Amino acid sequence: MILHIAKKEMLEMRQDGRFQIAAAIVMTLLCVSLGIGWQQYVSINRQHEQARAETRDQWLTQGKKNPHSAAHYGVYAFKPKSPLSLVDRGADNYTGVAVWLEAHKQNEFKYKPARDANTLARFGDLTASSVLQLLIPLLVILMSFSAFAGEREQGTLRLVLSMGVPRPTLAMGKALGIAGGLGMLLVPAAIVGSAALVLASDTGSFVANLPRLGWMTLSYLLYFVAFIGISLTVSALAKSARLALVCLLGFWIFNGLAAPRIFSDLSRTVYRTPSSFAFSQRMDADLKKGFDENGLKKKLLAQYKVATIEELPINYAGISLKAGEDHGNEIYDKQYGELWDTFEAQNRLQQQGGLVAPLMAIRSVSMGLSGTDFAQFRDFSVAAEKYRRLFIDVLNADITRAPKTETAHMGDDKLWASVPAFEYSSPDVGIVLSQQTWSLGLLALWALLASLAAGWAATQRLRAE
Amino acid sequence: MLQAIDLTKSYGAQTALQPLNLEVKPGEIFCLLGANGAGKTTTINLFLNFIEPTGGRALINGLDVVANPLETKKHIAYIPEQVSLYRNLTGFENLDYFATLANGAAVDRGLLLGYLREVDLPAGAEERRVSTYSKGMRQKIVIAIAMAKQAKALLLDEPTSGLDPKASNEFSQLIRKLAGQGTAILMATHDLFRAKEDGSRVGIMRQGTLKQVLNTDEFGHADLERIYLEHMHD
Repeated sequence: MILHIAKKEMLEMRQDGRFQIAAAIVMTLLCVSLGIGWQQYVSINRQHEQARAETRDQWLTQGKKNPHSAAHYGVYAFKPKSPLSLVDRGADNYTGVAVWLEAHKQNEFKYKPARDANTLARFGDLTASSVLQLLIPLLVILMSFSAFAGEREQGTLRLVLSMGVPRPTLAMGKALGIAGGLGMLLVPAAIVGSAALVLASDTGSFVANLPRLGWMTLSYLLYFVAFIGISLTVSALAKSARLALVCLLGFWIFNGLAAPRIFSDLSRTVYRTPSSFAFSQRMDADLKKGFDENGLKKKLLAQYKVATIEELPINYAGISLKAGEDHGNEIYDKQYGELWDTFEAQNRLQQQGGLVAPLMAIRSVSMGLSGTDFAQFRDFSVAAEKYRRLFIDVLNADITRAPKTETAHMGDDKLWASVPAFEYSSPDVGIVLSQQTWSLGLLALWALLASLAAGWAATQRLRAE
Repeated sequence: MLQAIDLTKSYGAQTALQPLNLEVKPGEIFCLLGANGAGKTTTINLFLNFIEPTGGRALINGLDVVANPLETKKHIAYIPEQVSLYRNLTGFENLDYFATLANGAAVDRGLLLGYLREVDLPAGAEERRVSTYSKGMRQKIVIAIAMAKQAKALLLDEPTSGLDPKASNEFSQLIRKLAGQGTAILMATHDLFRAKEDGSRVGIMRQGTLKQVLNTDEFGHADLERIYLEHMHD
């Protein structure tokens, strides 16, 4: 019986020109955005691959030079892009994906497309995630606002109810019909998306990304179920189809346009971050203070029981460089740590937005599973910085060991090769899920409550006229 | 088959239906006559349990409609004044949908086509979208639904309003046929002529009160009109 009702709903949708056009537009946008995402992912990945190989090659073949010059020469580190980032580019455009690792300095990330974009970019990229998060809910609303209210206006609801159909059956049939209509559109898109994923990744990384893909699919399904439930609830309660549509569009605007804005402004007001300029000024001021060189000298003289620096059995230049690095690192840890803690606090506050707007929850989950959220940016930054310290340490240790008689100490290929290449693997899906527990929970809650509300409205509050 | 016992409906201080008592037996056509607001549609809505009575009971096949909302609907078919069907579906698709809803399981296609022939829907029309149908054709689909449902009672709300004389005549023949097969029919109408022609009994309503019940074979057309107008004037 439920299936029969669902079948009729889908039959009506197929016959409805407006639905056909809307579905065709959304489907086209979804496929185009997946295509664009795929093309970008492939090209960026190729560039990264190439640059990664080049930067390593340049490092290994830089020839004889002073290790400290080599430290200034530096290397580039690239944040690996997950194939799923073709669905959701997340914060990548703002955080950047490449960083230059060099002596003395923890640099800011480079390649931030948002920096080069014009103001039009504020309307958002055409990504599969924006289609899934904004346009599919709109389509759900268009498909379901008249489910009950429209049938009541048309008069068919009286006829349906006079047939003695149990109302829960009717509601389930309607919900299933809408889900089926959505499926007609999403299943082909999912096939296109999966094909893009397979093409974009080698078999190994595709399999490795399957758990993330599975969780992502589940999360979006919960999001859509929530919208179907909300739409059916409003349709059953509203006095007219027009009123139902207005209410639902209002909610859609709040969910998709107002809430993200409100919560981002709110989070910036509550947790203030310094401007980029102020941040680097503060950092410079801290760095300028320098470290206590006299103290270091006294300590070394006492340790080695000698009277002058020249009498030290080790090369003071290396020790001094290391001490400088350590001092800088302390400041970086403090300054970046504070800044990033603030960003994380802002993100946590934004995630609370999921309580009133399911978009805030799905956005967070989707970014997390795509590996493009701030937490995973930070994870990568920390790993890159750890690597920077490691390779600078290796070089400074070499200087420290250098005989003092040598006028100009040179490093060679052997030294360069002793610095391992930078390897980074993205956090496990389990870690991402633990970071997204709150948002995932909220999504499940939205889906559950919206379904219950629809069931309640259809059985308890649905009037024949 | 259909029975109202002290059935009452009021909205706040306004009474839509004074305690109503009537019974429609199998094979009987009972016509409710009256102006707009007389309580005819309210009575039908009460039998359908679309609105809750403020007093009394409405029984279908001996069962209270409020206590048995689903069970009682199995025995009845309802034809609203605005015969609304799904415009984008064909006549047959509409019939198939409603017949399945009514029976809880799919109904054989041949059987459904048989009902469409029985109500005399123009050949080939069942494959056209309902948006191209006249009211008379839509009404035929709904009667076919009632047949597929094998309803023991029929509730009709102004069925002949907006029908041309030929369609109206065809409609009368159909419901008389159904009555002949033992269906109890309650029909709200403005149409004195149809009420006299088709009805076994006629009830005249005014301002929520059933004023008088007449057997149609005991008087002529002119008498009915006179009695009706008398009730409307006082």
